[in-house]
Amino acid sequence: MLILVIMCIGICIGNRFLPPKYKKANEIFQIMCTLSLIFSMGVMLGKDEHFFDKLFTLGWESFLFFLVPSVCSVILVFILTNRFMDDKRKKEKD
Amino acid sequence: MVILAVLALVLGVLVGTFDVQNFLLDALVSNKDLVLYLLMFSVGMSIGLHKGIIRKIKEYHVKILIIPAGIIVGTLLGGVFLSMITKYNVGESTSVVSGLGWYSLAGVTIGNLAGAQLGSIAFLSNLMREIFSFFTIPFIAKHFNYYSCIAPAAATSEDTTLPMMMKYTNEETVVLSVINGVLCSAVVPILIPLCYQLKF
Repeated sequence: MLILVIMCIGICIGNRFLPPKYKKANEIFQIMCTLSLIFSMGVMLGKDEHFFDKLFTLGWESFLFFLVPSVCSVILVFILTNRFMDDKRKKEKD
Repeated sequence: MVILAVLALVLGVLVGTFDVQNFLLDALVSNKDLVLYLLMFSVGMSIGLHKGIIRKIKEYHVKILIIPAGIIVGTLLGGVFLSMITKYNVGESTSVVSGLGWYSLAGVTIGNLAGAQLGSIAFLSNLMREIFSFFTIPFIAKHFNYYSCIAPAAATSEDTTLPMMMKYTNEETVVLSVINGVLCSAVVPILIPLCYQLKF
């Protein structure tokens, strides 16, 4: 909940007060924060004595957690957009 | 960015494995919540900076929600299915897939909620979603329709995968792709804790 409040404050400031010239600096700041967080996560993983044993299992499970939702979302978006939106490419062909 | 992220993860694992002691490293690891709050504030500012987004939303009206809704519902259905074939419950599975390709935020948020193991799965699976979407966009554009190209990219459709959208789809899809990315990115921080609360 706190994260959401912080993000909403950011949206208001970005929309009302932040000049567009700071967009790039903001993106670089995001990259720095992201890399710091990923690094911290890596440190926590590395401190786990059984980490390398778990890596194979994590890799396989991660693959499943990527594949299944991606395929489901492509199929659903295809069905919905075919039904409710005009595909301009199709019109061009016709 | 993907390469930098993988390097940061590998470096972190090495530092953790060899138990490297350093004041700065300790301060960074113990204050990661603060870094997450700063990141969310910055992400909010990015969304706020998209000034033309309100006008485009009015132009497409309700139809603009079809693609993000399809992506979110499809992804969550995938998460529910995964809870049946893996050891994770519906809350854990759906929260992992709720990252919608935003691997950094998903990894860290789920890591804080459920521990490093599930956080790592969230990180890796969402990273794979971003990487594989680069390669699948041309295939989907050819065999499905242009709009469906946005689906695998999900929250990344406004930034990292946008060049592929520009190359393999049309202007309309690119605009929808940006709007979809903003909407999905705004939903991810809400969806992850919400799904994690599901305890069945």
